[in-house]
Amino acid sequence: MLFNSFHFVYFFVVVTTLYFILPFKQRWLLLLLSSCYFYMAFVPIYILILGFTILVDYFAGRIIEKSEGKKRRFYLICSLIANIGVLCIFKYYNFISENLSFLLQGFITNYQLPYLSILLPIGLSFHTFQAMSYTIEVYKGNQKAERHFGIYSLYVMFYPQLVAGPIERPQNLLHQFRENHKFESDRVVSGLKLMLWGFFKKLVIADRLALYVNTVYNNSSHHNGVTLAVATLFFAFQIYCDFSAYSDIAIGSARVMGFNLMTNFDRPYFSKSIAEFWKRWHISLSTWFKDYLYISLGGNKVSIPRWYFNLFIVFLISGLWHGANWTYIVWGGINGFYLVFAIVTKTYREKLSALIKLDKIPLLNNIIQIIITFGLTCFAWIFFRAKNITEAFSIVKKIIYFDGPFFNPNKSIFLFSIIGIIFLMLVELKREYFNNLFSFSLNEYWLVRNFYYSFLIIVIILIGVFDGGEFIYFQF
Amino acid sequence: MKKNLQSVKDKNGYQFFFLKLGLFILICFMMDITVGAILRNLYLKQNTGWEYRTKYAVEATNADMLLFGSSRAQQQYNPTFFEDRLNLSCYNVGRDGESILYQYTIFSSVINRYKPKIILLECENGMFRKTADAYDKLSCFLPFYKTHPEIRSMIELRGPNEKLKLMSKIYPYNSLILKMISGVYNKNKDEDIKGYLPLYGNMNEPMRSVNYTKTYILDSNKIKFYNSFIDICKRNKIELVLVCSPYFSKGTGNDISLTMAKDIALKNDVKFIDLSKGHPLLNQSTLYDDTAHVNLMGAKILSNIVIDSMKVNKYIESNKYMLTKTN
Repeated sequence: MLFNSFHFVYFFVVVTTLYFILPFKQRWLLLLLSSCYFYMAFVPIYILILGFTILVDYFAGRIIEKSEGKKRRFYLICSLIANIGVLCIFKYYNFISENLSFLLQGFITNYQLPYLSILLPIGLSFHTFQAMSYTIEVYKGNQKAERHFGIYSLYVMFYPQLVAGPIERPQNLLHQFRENHKFESDRVVSGLKLMLWGFFKKLVIADRLALYVNTVYNNSSHHNGVTLAVATLFFAFQIYCDFSAYSDIAIGSARVMGFNLMTNFDRPYFSKSIAEFWKRWHISLSTWFKDYLYISLGGNKVSIPRWYFNLFIVFLISGLWHGANWTYIVWGGINGFYLVFAIVTKTYREKLSALIKLDKIPLLNNIIQIIITFGLTCFAWIFFRAKNITEAFSIVKKIIYFDGPFFNPNKSIFLFSIIGIIFLMLVELKREYFNNLFSFSLNEYWLVRNFYYSFLIIVIILIGVFDGGEFIYFQF
Repeated sequence: MKKNLQSVKDKNGYQFFFLKLGLFILICFMMDITVGAILRNLYLKQNTGWEYRTKYAVEATNADMLLFGSSRAQQQYNPTFFEDRLNLSCYNVGRDGESILYQYTIFSSVINRYKPKIILLECENGMFRKTADAYDKLSCFLPFYKTHPEIRSMIELRGPNEKLKLMSKIYPYNSLILKMISGVYNKNKDEDIKGYLPLYGNMNEPMRSVNYTKTYILDSNKIKFYNSFIDICKRNKIELVLVCSPYFSKGTGNDISLTMAKDIALKNDVKFIDLSKGHPLLNQSTLYDDTAHVNLMGAKILSNIVIDSMKVNKYIESNKYMLTKTN
């Protein structure tokens, strides 16, 4: 079920109403059944995969808790293998098979693994990672194994964050299913406002930008550097608005029912470095990799080369997490390289900054840092969006030459896109730097607040794209 | 349940929430009505542009002859030639990028007002191909949903929630605001000759080979409305002429949609002028803007070829440029 569909609006109203009407003890069942319905609205049969993951991790959690020493570790590894195995079969099998065939063609003639013709289960990487975080936390002793199978199933399946996160941790979410959330007007209103902002970003900005980005990127060979540069810039905002919109709607809809989900985006395009960007972008995934992979590899408490290796490998895997395509791996690699490069050159950059006295003008220094970080991010997005590596390099080459007339087949689309981006940046700029100044959304006067939110609704109806389709991150 | 809702009487309870929600909906409702009225006014004030031409086609055309089709009608048939040679009034209601769904909707609104004497419907390769955007593009009729019941069923083809969305007074003008402002305030009006928008390009490229035999998913709705178009013309005794204008290419094979359109025409004894494989008078690249559209000069020749063919009550068979009887 898509958040940006009427189907979801009906679903949300019915489920939320029933949630507050039903006695506390029956609510988990309502949420579980509605989550099953939500997931089955995509491809019903794939609920079996989800069921398998839930069964394995539920029992793994119980067994891990009871075991000690090597056995404890063994059960954890078994559970992780089962989860990663599911990912490998349904997400990476064809990718591995193709690359293995390519590698072995010099040694074994006619080596060809069968092609698996299946649709990727929606949100597979998200709920698999959430399930894995449970068994890891039980193993670490930070979380007690859940006895109630229904509650545990709900932890994996909770519909607001089932298909595109935020990827929750058991310590934050599990206990909330046992709490009796009473109806609180302020909280409900706050959740609804967040959802509305999410709908605005998705329908007015992301889906509008997608019209231009898709036209250009789907025929990149026919477009020149100027057009591709604009499309890349638009894509940077499209993916941000698309993904953060999903997170806002997820967090908002959960908040209406009294659940607190973790923040997933914190105005990432105001980051002054790539390291800061990853603290603000897809926070639930970044922290997952940090907590469960980077630190397990030794983090920065190792030799310097090993530290660089740890950083780089985490970003390569993070790239692979996004999809079974070399473009994602290269995208991850580029980000890993950025981080390592930033660490290596930190002293020199600071010296240069002092030399040209840039450090004496913090405002200019910050602006330059933000622009450079955004530029580097946009460069990496080319690889994320391109169909393959060859196309990505061809786009980069064209952008470097930066010539040719600007392609603008529909002035309305372009103008609405620009207006959307400017509005977004003004809102985020205000929230980032001038949060204590006059605010429409948090105004003390009820009428001003409500005019602001009704303005958002009017703009959605006036220039929103209603047939835009699914969220980008659903495919992961 | 009582326990859950026990805090209803305080400011954080559900009664207070629904009161605030009701007031908020009221504000939205009032803003929707106000902005919707402004937009409607703007829409009606247009005197140029795409939306203006659609509005004119739906509400004001009264010509004896109407030319229907996509850009291959709008940018290829000059109504003045038809007027001069056939001695009747003519208007081009074609619109770039539109399918038979659009043309049938316009026709439904026209036939509700009056009966034209002659209708020319431009057919093209891939005209029955299933595409999502053909339905999306019916959005240009949203402003007429309330005032033109005869086209409601077509608008509802856009999706099951269209009725619900149309409760808003703003929604019919979704994404149109810039076009409407341009339609009202743009002093450089389109070069619109009774709906015809001439093209001035010059291809200057050699003719390329294209194989039209391709398989694609057919849209049963498009076939249905094509049949209905013919049927309504027959019932109302309107002379219908179906034309497929030339493509600047060495075409081999046959497009399934065009073959189907010709078969349906033949079955209904309707004239079908098939120039899809070219015409001796239109085989120079200088007469084309691109492979699918003739330019201003080409339009003059094409319009005259079509008028000549219409005057002879015969059927032109594809490939041969020969006149053969339909029956």
